[in-house]
Amino acid sequence: MEKIDSSRFAWVGESAHDREAISRPSLTFWQDAMRRLVKNRVAFICLIVILVLTVFSVFAPMLSPFDYREQHYSHTNAPMGTLCNESGVPGEGHKHIFGTDTLGRDIWTRIWMGGRVSLTIAVVSALVDLILGSVYGGISGYFGGTVDIIMMRLLEIINGIPYLIIVILLMMIMKPGMITIIVAYSLVGWIPMARLVRGQVVALKQQEFIAAAEAMGASPWRIIARHLLPNTLSVVIVRVTLAIPGAIFSEAYLSYLGLGIPLPMCSWGSLAQAGIENFRIYPSQLIIPAICISLTMLAFNMFGDGLRDAFDPKLRR
Amino acid sequence: MARYIIKRLAYAVLTLFVLISLTFFMMRMLPGDPFLGDKTVSATTLANMQAKYGLDKPVYIQYLKYMGNCLRGDLGMSIVYNRDVMGIVSESFMVSADLGIRALIFAFVIGVLLGAVAAVKRGGFADSFSMFIAMIGVSVPSFILGALLQYFLALQMRKVFHINLFPIQGWGSFNQTVLPAFALGLGSLATVSRLMRTSMLDVLGSDYIKTAKSKGLSQGQIIRRHALRNAIMPVITIMGPTVASVLTGTFVIESIFNIPGLGKYFVISIKDLDYTMISGTVVFYGGLLILCTLVVDLLYGFIDPRVKLEG
Amino acid sequence: MADRVLTIEDLQVSFDTYAGEVQAVRGVSLHVDAGEVLAVVGESGCGKSVTAQTIMKLNPMPPARIKGGKIDLAGHDIVAASEREMQHIRGREVAMIFQDPMTCMNPTTQVGWQVVESVRLHNKISKKDAKEEAVNQLTRVHIPNPRERARQYPHEFSGGMRQRAMIAMALSCKPKLLIADEPTTALDVTIQAQIMDLLSEMKRETNTAIILITHDLGVVAGIADRVAVMYAGKVVETGTTRQIFYENRHPYTRALLGSLPQTDSSKREPLTSIPGTPPDLLNPPKGCGFAARCKHCMQICREELPPEFTTEDGHKACCWLLHPDCPSPEERGDRT
Repeated sequence: MEKIDSSRFAWVGESAHDREAISRPSLTFWQDAMRRLVKNRVAFICLIVILVLTVFSVFAPMLSPFDYREQHYSHTNAPMGTLCNESGVPGEGHKHIFGTDTLGRDIWTRIWMGGRVSLTIAVVSALVDLILGSVYGGISGYFGGTVDIIMMRLLEIINGIPYLIIVILLMMIMKPGMITIIVAYSLVGWIPMARLVRGQVVALKQQEFIAAAEAMGASPWRIIARHLLPNTLSVVIVRVTLAIPGAIFSEAYLSYLGLGIPLPMCSWGSLAQAGIENFRIYPSQLIIPAICISLTMLAFNMFGDGLRDAFDPKLRR
Repeated sequence: MARYIIKRLAYAVLTLFVLISLTFFMMRMLPGDPFLGDKTVSATTLANMQAKYGLDKPVYIQYLKYMGNCLRGDLGMSIVYNRDVMGIVSESFMVSADLGIRALIFAFVIGVLLGAVAAVKRGGFADSFSMFIAMIGVSVPSFILGALLQYFLALQMRKVFHINLFPIQGWGSFNQTVLPAFALGLGSLATVSRLMRTSMLDVLGSDYIKTAKSKGLSQGQIIRRHALRNAIMPVITIMGPTVASVLTGTFVIESIFNIPGLGKYFVISIKDLDYTMISGTVVFYGGLLILCTLVVDLLYGFIDPRVKLEG
Repeated sequence: MADRVLTIEDLQVSFDTYAGEVQAVRGVSLHVDAGEVLAVVGESGCGKSVTAQTIMKLNPMPPARIKGGKIDLAGHDIVAASEREMQHIRGREVAMIFQDPMTCMNPTTQVGWQVVESVRLHNKISKKDAKEEAVNQLTRVHIPNPRERARQYPHEFSGGMRQRAMIAMALSCKPKLLIADEPTTALDVTIQAQIMDLLSEMKRETNTAIILITHDLGVVAGIADRVAVMYAGKVVETGTTRQIFYENRHPYTRALLGSLPQTDSSKREPLTSIPGTPPDLLNPPKGCGFAARCKHCMQICREELPPEFTTEDGHKACCWLLHPDCPSPEERGDRT
């Protein structure tokens, strides 16, 4: 065996630095989630699509030379890019980017007006779902026992009836309009959210930090608001993102049944419904709103999936 | 097991009760009187008609009577068609059921297969393909998909390629069922295949699959004997909601493809404000779906041995 | 020499992850004879389970990859074996029981059927015989009412009973080698002893070689003939159970034993823990893996991998302290 110099056997002892070496930087939960979300290219593109659609919905109707109600009888059902040759209207000399509909209304302007309506309905319904569902699920899960049993039984019974049937019934007895759609959808839409929040709360309740807060004398409301809800937030955010396409779908569906936004106002659903009536001759009148609806639903769905992946610690690498 | 069945049955009965009550009170809250739309009716006729439909009695009597009628299958008279709703339902529902079952079979069989293959060959072609189908399925509402299929696969195919494979509308031949069943089922297919993929991946990563592998089973044997059965469980639980979404989907698909099913009548009755027809159809559909959910729940109890303990 | 069942030489296994190559096993050599129990001990993440699963090629490849070394199992070259050949070897030549009996059985299949599944696979027996065989196997592992139990589902079994059924399942084809990967970790202490007794009994009955993987040295003492101590993907010390417990030569083995409560100790020694965590095998240290946590660490430990030093009676350890040139603690300046 080769002789080894004794200097190499000099004692150095354990190294507190190396033995605790953590090869990955430590990040907070939210930082970590954000980092993964930004890295997820698909989710990022979806976010951009959502932002672009929102920006167009907000500003395009303002900047358009046409009004969404304005009818041009000289060029009805005009193809995309037709020049408006009607004299004396503000839009004279401008192009109908997406053409005009049966009544000669500018589809470009109507699409983005419809976007305002559809997106507002979707986002507001999702938020109402969030609030109702969190409160109901939070109370049910937190108090447990009889309260929980009764509240959950009630929920299961309502859940047994398909929500679209309830929404149709509600739409029949209320005055048609945006608020009605939001109210009708929200009256049933909060149920999945309530179940989700309850499940989360029940799981969290068994953890020690809740017991600690209770031991320190925190009131139930404080525990729900300060400890339970923030901890269920990530799951809830994902659920809200995924509830938006559901609301958009419901709005479109109701419009098709003739229970949507009353004319001359429009939504993507009512535009698609109008498009279906004459798409055999003018397919673009269906395809344009169809793309808007599908793109929005797709973007929200995939963005929601991306958020879930970003929040789910099981997928951490 | 007996407790489980009784519990499910009790839920179904309660839900049905709530559904009928809800329908009754909502119909009561409707603005105006169903007979006042027609101004030519004289006061005596009106009174006669109200007496005929029991509208002169106190609300609770009307309610009990309505409840009794619903349970006996008497859903009232359609004002527009002037015949009893149950008659229309029994005549047209078979068509809807035919379409719905085709769509469901399509969604479940293809969805389960696609999801399973996607999970086994993770990252391969089948995985990407199932992802693509799932994307279309979740983002294109069925009635838009139906209209697009009509335009491209029926209309344009005939015009451009002179192939008359799929008729634009109507009902009767097999070819006429393909496009509506596809449009109706694709959304559910997407849900089923995504769920199946996740569940299959979960199962394939579980310890008992490792046990099976350590016994010397081949990949195919593991999938057939151990993975599929367990992976399909969560898919069965969503069968209830899937049946619901397919059935509500028939409303719009039938009117787009001009299929003489119950859904088409339902949409017309909404446009015509035929309230008895609407409430009758709602009660019928609601009851049917409650029954379907009950059947699925019970089926699940038989398939998964673990349910018996929980009760 | 007794029948050699398994020989592993210089096995290296890596996982290709997004972050890079994780060298989970970095040159492990082991051997087991028929009727012998080899205990492999070490902290979690030291490569014990990876080594065990590689013997059966159970880890999915990719991401896992055998980088080098040889595995000879009863005459089969495992490293070169195809998946089809492995299917014949698994269950028949080598079987495995896992840590958590709660999750290791298919929840929707009857226990009896699962127990004889590998018999039916490897021996092609009739359905009726298989049923009888299932009852026999369950009887062998002392499960009461085996006839009824065979028809039940895993959730109707307690944890200890499931582990018994797992042992029956593993031994049903009379394998030459049984790998028990932390078989008692998930069980109650009272059940643990029963399972270990059952394993010894089975070993005596069948003369099966057993590799017992555990992080619990207390379990080892009663049953193992030899012990291999693993750290950071390497075997740092092997020897008979006696040698490891009383003549241990590696500081890591000593530290492990120091963290074990001694009931027979006359002195009131405090329990010691080993501060820190094992190194990240994404970037394994250049020198000895234990250097950063070792009280006796020397300059050379950080720079060069220690070679293996073998005593005459077959006791092996990898530590620079054993080098003949290593000076006395005073000369090294070791103040511990």
